[in-house]
Amino acid sequence: MNFAFRLRQALLIARLELSRAFFSKRAFWVYGLALFPMIIFVGHGLDVTWKRQRWAATSITREQMDRVTEGQTLEEVTQKLGKPIRQGQWEDDDNKRVHAWRSYYDGKRRIDLDFTNGLLTHIRAQELADFEDDRTVLATVFQYFYLRLAIFFGCLGIFMNLFRGEMLDKTLHYWLLGPARRETLLAGKYLAGVAASVVIFGVGTAVCFYGVLWYQNPAEVQAYWAGPGASHLFWYLAASSLACIGYGSVFVAAGLLVRNPIVPAALLLVWESINGFLPAALQKLSVLYYVQSLCPVPPVDFDEDTPALVKMLLAPAEPASAAMAVVGVMGVTALVLLAAGRTIRRTEINYGTE
Amino acid sequence: MMSVPEVVFHNASKFYGEVLGVNKVSLRIPPGITALVGPNGSGKTTLMNLMAGLILPDRGSVTVRGLSPRDPEKLMRVLGYATQYDAAPRGVTGFDFVLTGLLLWGHARAEAERRAWKAIERVSLADAAGRKIAAYSKGMRQRIRLAQAIAHDPEVVVLDEPLNGLDPLVRAETIAMFREWAAQERHVILSSHVLQEVDVISDRVILISNGMIVAEGQVRNVRDEISEHPSQFLIRCRDASRVASLLFAEKHVTEVRLNEDRAGLLVLTRNREEFAHTLGRIAVNDYEIESVLPADDNVDSLYGYLIGQGGR
Repeated sequence: MNFAFRLRQALLIARLELSRAFFSKRAFWVYGLALFPMIIFVGHGLDVTWKRQRWAATSITREQMDRVTEGQTLEEVTQKLGKPIRQGQWEDDDNKRVHAWRSYYDGKRRIDLDFTNGLLTHIRAQELADFEDDRTVLATVFQYFYLRLAIFFGCLGIFMNLFRGEMLDKTLHYWLLGPARRETLLAGKYLAGVAASVVIFGVGTAVCFYGVLWYQNPAEVQAYWAGPGASHLFWYLAASSLACIGYGSVFVAAGLLVRNPIVPAALLLVWESINGFLPAALQKLSVLYYVQSLCPVPPVDFDEDTPALVKMLLAPAEPASAAMAVVGVMGVTALVLLAAGRTIRRTEINYGTE
Repeated sequence: MMSVPEVVFHNASKFYGEVLGVNKVSLRIPPGITALVGPNGSGKTTLMNLMAGLILPDRGSVTVRGLSPRDPEKLMRVLGYATQYDAAPRGVTGFDFVLTGLLLWGHARAEAERRAWKAIERVSLADAAGRKIAAYSKGMRQRIRLAQAIAHDPEVVVLDEPLNGLDPLVRAETIAMFREWAAQERHVILSSHVLQEVDVISDRVILISNGMIVAEGQVRNVRDEISEHPSQFLIRCRDASRVASLLFAEKHVTEVRLNEDRAGLLVLTRNREEFAHTLGRIAVNDYEIESVLPADDNVDSLYGYLIGQGGR
């Protein structure tokens, strides 16, 4: 029985466990977590597309807009621009003022005009879809929701179930009675969990990425693909995959050690959250530290109104290099799996106390 | 001289928290059919789980034909264990249940499938092999676990209540299979509450109570060890009343019961050898003893003594 034989055993176990990892009743909510951000991006895209179609018939030209200046009357502006896409009015009785607003669409931007007592006071323009802003939103959602929460809890659901679920179902003995080392069993089950989580969250990441692109200006999208687009997608997928590998190892080990997943999950979540202001040496014992370093686009900056605690918890640590990040996650994973391997050798069947 | 391959418990103890599983068990189980007998919770399953490595001893050690249960890669190639646990992995069919172990064993798929079918046919479950185990009856689940335990042709078969749920034909075939293996110098270690069957099929019994071995050995020898309980014999003879009075005069005879047909006696004696001599003397004196049968050297009686209900 050599390494190749054990590898074949591990792959066989992984293949047999795949359906459990993908379709476990206990972990169906993982799909919801993985695809939840898609709702934001697809919803935004649908909104943009719908507005474009609805407003296209009444859009104004840039030349028409150039003829409008502050100080002009409501009637003059209406004469120059025609019927607005939206309009409204309200009265400020205290100051004896009448405020009105008109919105126009120039094929790309929504232009809001504010009138006070019939005179144009402000002109504001906003891109219907700002590709750069949307990419920053994607980066923010990916780092603060996807990596920290969705993949974290998704891996909790998938990997804790590999051993703890079998103990609850009273079926773990089936595997322990096979002619395989316990470490081989661990490797096989872990591989199944990694395959399932990488596919689920990889698809989720790709769908979110595409969700930001599909409604953008085709020329901008083409330029993006010609530039950093493919690299961005690669690193997003790498970050989500490595997060699955790292968190997976922690939760498969936790599934061997404890009955209640809440405790290790809470401890790890706190550890990962305070990572940004831990000493440099301790920062390296974190999955989040490494995978955040791989994210290709920085998240949105905090503004002054952001609470200090939120700033502190979300502040990323000084990033590692890409190579260091990959090696770091693999190192943390190897350490945790080594400990899990020692644990599974001592694992006993004791369904009576489950 | 070649050493006999044995299952050895050396001062093995197992506790579940503060609850005793087994305590300081020392045993050497040779090849053949060995039955573990004891009331529920006495420690039978604990002993079996220790042999298979599903649990580990807190003290002492266990070896199975020289292999440690801590090394399942080697142990499970020679050991098959049909547990009492009824659940099977979700969605798995009977055939896949048996096949998986064989694939892990390292057999090529075609060979693994051939062996799986052979084992499934041996427990008469071929028609249901393609169905999910979740849809099996209790008896069918029992049989598929038996098929899985024997599919790789192991040298040591450990079976927790293996005859439960088997129909008479399969039961007879299974017992024949156990005998065949025993004849091949394999270990068949089983527990059962069907005591008559254990009595008939076992070469040896191990009596367990409260996690401790009360007695072990061949059924008759074990019976001798329980000296506080008189041995019981059924005698068929002519003039049973007179024979009863002669026997009752002996010191070692504690009780004599006359059958209703007045042609038979149940005799309880504290000394089997003296009883044999006495019976010889009576026979010489022309009382025509037709038959003498031990009435309590079966597991049922031992079990009764063990849990304090007396022999029958």
